[in-house]
Amino acid sequence: MTTPLHSRFVVLAGLAATSAFFAGCASQGVSNPTGVPVTEMGASERGFVAGTGVESQDLVTVTDKMARSILAIPEIANAQATPRIALDPVVNDTRFPLNKDIFNDRIRIELNKHSLGKVRFLARDRMKALERERDLKQGGQVTASADPNVTEFRGADYFLTGKLSGMTTKTSAGTSDYVLYSFQLIDARTSEIVWEDSAEIKKQGLEDAAYR
Amino acid sequence: MMPPSRAPARLTMVLHSESSAQCGEGRVSRRLPVAAAVRGAALAALVALAGCATAPRTNILYTGDPVIDGNAERVAARPQDRVMWDYRIAASALRLGNYEEAKAKLDDAILNMGGIINNSADAAKARGLFSGENAKVFIGEPYERVMAYYYRGILYWLDGQPDNARACFRTGEFIDADAETAAYKSDYVLLDYLDGLASLKLAADGTDALKRATASAQGRALPEYDPQANVLVFAEFGTGPQKYAGGEYGEQLRFMTADSRVHSAALTVNDRTIALPAYDDLNFQATTRGGRVMDYILGNKAVFKRNASNVGDVALLGGVVAADNMRRYNGSKNHDAENAAIALGAIGLFSKLASAATTPHADVRMWNNLPQRLSFAALRLPAGQHAAKIEYFDGEGRRLVGLTQELTIVVDDVTRDTVVFLSELKR
Repeated sequence: MTTPLHSRFVVLAGLAATSAFFAGCASQGVSNPTGVPVTEMGASERGFVAGTGVESQDLVTVTDKMARSILAIPEIANAQATPRIALDPVVNDTRFPLNKDIFNDRIRIELNKHSLGKVRFLARDRMKALERERDLKQGGQVTASADPNVTEFRGADYFLTGKLSGMTTKTSAGTSDYVLYSFQLIDARTSEIVWEDSAEIKKQGLEDAAYR
Repeated sequence: MMPPSRAPARLTMVLHSESSAQCGEGRVSRRLPVAAAVRGAALAALVALAGCATAPRTNILYTGDPVIDGNAERVAARPQDRVMWDYRIAASALRLGNYEEAKAKLDDAILNMGGIINNSADAAKARGLFSGENAKVFIGEPYERVMAYYYRGILYWLDGQPDNARACFRTGEFIDADAETAAYKSDYVLLDYLDGLASLKLAADGTDALKRATASAQGRALPEYDPQANVLVFAEFGTGPQKYAGGEYGEQLRFMTADSRVHSAALTVNDRTIALPAYDDLNFQATTRGGRVMDYILGNKAVFKRNASNVGDVALLGGVVAADNMRRYNGSKNHDAENAAIALGAIGLFSKLASAATTPHADVRMWNNLPQRLSFAALRLPAGQHAAKIEYFDGEGRRLVGLTQELTIVVDDVTRDTVVFLSELKR
């Protein structure tokens, strides 16, 4: 026998079942169950994973600017003999731990790519391997195309180095980070700074309230 | 107050007793609504359980090695908990001298928590009514994030990168910069002290950082910088803060801060004893942050949960009263009362369900193997191996028996800093 009261209770029970379904699973859902496809981006593009620190687009912007700037100076553009440049590690004076060598590396690559032999870089970071090879040649263990007892490792005419300096502000309105990228070319003989340039980038952001 | 999750069961029981006592109908017709309600409840439970059947669970074979076990837990953990395991494994690995593992885990953690997290679906869910705060990706409270940077800074210094170490210490102070009370903003003594020391080592000026450290030390003496010091000793002792949830619905994040018995330490090397006093206390740091924005959100959730439950109680009570009047004195059916009873019952049920589904619980996931106290000393040692021992002392300066550790400090190259990490904690 079915009474109106009975049928209404069945409706209520159905509603309860539906509610229980949604309530029980509110915190157990799986987001992006099929994953998010890999997105290929240019190194100079700002990605969707971002912070206020030093990122790849900053690296590209800064090193492009520095490489162009160095090539234009008279010491390089009008040099009689090809200048030899050694890299001195960049000093990180910001609040962001980072791979510092990547700045000098990219400037070196850009200069080598665009200078058409106007500058040469010295592989000082490979000295251990180079010295070992020289020792092998001097010991007659491997062949040599020139007299191995004559020192041919080149001395540097210039040192290329840089510094990253930062200023940070944090308030309830968000975080602001300013980074000054400065680079110098120093005459190895006279200690004169023959070139200097800089780039500055400021970023701001505010975190989700769940993290504040 | 009755737990909200039991409300539907109470509704069923009330209707049953009222109908049995008052309706005066036959046995079958009196039992029908109860049977239907029971079937409905069973259906609800079945559907609820079926909907949750996809929650992952992996059995872990524990080995007793905190790094191996931690990695197994990390693999089995929800993606939202990965950073928590990174933290725990890193601390264990650091104490075991497995620096590569510690670096890898801290780098992964910093990659996740070092940026600005916004437009995050998990964070939005954590703010929502029907998910707990632990729906968001765990990055830890500020004192936990500070410690990730502190440890990573030590490891950078170990690798001969004092400028990156300094960057980590600076970010640590930055993370602590938004404490509610001005006196507690960026008040880690060691982070500023080490910032200044690193600057000095890099031929820069560390005096400002030293001034800030001295101000945070509040009268405690800090050692003068020695630019020639080539051995940096980082020590930690005591058990750090533990989280728990307080409040009516667990909506308040609270900290258990039992004071550890170890208050200081001393390192003896080459017949010279170097004091290792506590410069920073994580119990103090965890409890001087002030309120979070998320605390307000959780508070609002708790208010909603309570109000929805109260509305449910009132509606169900009204429904019972209306059901009580479904039969007139002359025996005829009062359809208005019947409709009112059903409507109030439905409102009450939904209010109770909404209340039950509201999850204001604070996130108590934690970096559970942090120390309480941090210390540091810098000394000069010639190249070679140096036998040393570290002793720990209580608040009265008494040596704690059984905690003394013997060690050998190896100085390979006096032109670069040798970093020694000492922990009273085993895991």
